[in-house]
Amino acid sequence: MSFKVLTSGIFTTIQDQGRYGYNHLGITHSGAMDEYAYLWGQKLLQTVVQRTDIGVYPYNALEVMVGLKLLAISFTTIAVTGADLNFKINDVLQPIWQTHYIKSGDILSFDKRVSGQRAYLAVKEGFILEKVYGSYATTLKENIGSKLKRDDILDFKSYPKADTYRVKKTYIPNYKKPLTLRLLLSYQENYFSKEEKEKFFNSEYEVTLQSDRMGYKLKGQAINPNQGGIISEAIAFGSVQIPKDGQPIVLLKERQTIGGYPKIGAVLPVDCFSLAQISMGSKVRFEVIEIEKVEEIMKKFSQSI
Amino acid sequence: MNIKIASVDSVIIYFEQIISEKVLDEVQQTYIALKELDNIIDIIPSYCSILVIYDIFKYNHKSIKETILKKGSQPVGSVINDHLHNKLIKISTDYNQNLDLKRVADHNNLSIEEVIKLHSQTTYRVYAIGFMVGFAYLATVNKKIITPRLETPRNKVIKGSVAIADNQTAIYPQDSAGGWNIIGHTEFDEFNEFSIGDKVQFVSIS
Repeated sequence: MSFKVLTSGIFTTIQDQGRYGYNHLGITHSGAMDEYAYLWGQKLLQTVVQRTDIGVYPYNALEVMVGLKLLAISFTTIAVTGADLNFKINDVLQPIWQTHYIKSGDILSFDKRVSGQRAYLAVKEGFILEKVYGSYATTLKENIGSKLKRDDILDFKSYPKADTYRVKKTYIPNYKKPLTLRLLLSYQENYFSKEEKEKFFNSEYEVTLQSDRMGYKLKGQAINPNQGGIISEAIAFGSVQIPKDGQPIVLLKERQTIGGYPKIGAVLPVDCFSLAQISMGSKVRFEVIEIEKVEEIMKKFSQSI
Repeated sequence: MNIKIASVDSVIIYFEQIISEKVLDEVQQTYIALKELDNIIDIIPSYCSILVIYDIFKYNHKSIKETILKKGSQPVGSVINDHLHNKLIKISTDYNQNLDLKRVADHNNLSIEEVIKLHSQTTYRVYAIGFMVGFAYLATVNKKIITPRLETPRNKVIKGSVAIADNQTAIYPQDSAGGWNIIGHTEFDEFNEFSIGDKVQFVSIS
């Protein structure tokens, strides 16, 4: 009752909603980069919602960045959401954002990037693994978990064939659409003059290749704070840090827990999830949003999935 | 204390923005008090701030502020006082395993023995934890042995290395790249024991 890894893909890891409650030890949150797609995968597979008290599903999924090929050694139900990576079962292209029943001997592959960067492959009740500090999330820099390797075995529970569930079209994002990152001004926003803020909100920024699970480094109009450093403090998800070169970094799931560069604010989590799906070289813009509006959006988001 | 919004589900509490033992005491006391709150996802203290990440279904940016102000302004109980005064972590340190002890000595015109003595006779406090898991920033080193970071960081500093950078000292909790001056080595392996404000002493076993 497992998958055998035939081809590992470029960066396939086990993720969940993250590792909470250990930031004070320097342990980062980690977890699925696109929580939106991840959560839909979980929802498609759950008949009964079994979230913990902080709204977290108890299972996990593979975060796939292309090139993965698996052999099923038993039957079960899976869900594939997120990026379109040409998902195939036995070489036949399959729709995503839905569940699929798979049988022993089936070969699952993600062989080409069509749109988006990260797909999520979940199995009903999750892969059978040990949690580390309360979470399944892989964090390579902390030696928690590892990238998938050829011949790895991923265990799961077998499930008989059941109804197919699909995500409604209106909820499926278009990753090729231009992205505007809604930002809550916060932290050291008053280190940035009116002119610097205008530059920031009126410019386009390019997503550079120095972007990973820790953060996305952008390139464009440099903006400069009137003070270059702060006494190190904790960093919230989506914080936009401005290092000495004036080029913003949006700090994501594997961000450092504390840091000493000024931060102009924090991008709305749902927009960070979209950011994790756009291709390198894409352009993004920033837009100010007010806290009351943000709270409303986030609550709607949590309730919708 | 001054509470500011940090993100949609977090606020940051700012204390006086200086690195001092007085501010550290305030951070530690407030941190201990706030740990008792329910519906908090993470709470991360640093030198002179505390980030509080909360459940947005239980609080909004206004109610969390009120809750923090109420909790943070309560009188400090005896339990907290005991905690503040009692926790002391001793680190057995072999100063013979060093790469930069001579550099630190030369930089400050001291003998190696004097550097060891000055480093091990101070009781440090944990001011922050970060950079990597279990990396505790300990301060303040005696001003006679303050030494800047190496100009070129090493690709590999081994786990357990005891090091100095400027007026701070620390132990590398795992192998990593790093630019601090390595002055000793310890077998200590309880890095999750460190909490903000704790007292730490290095004991020479060389």
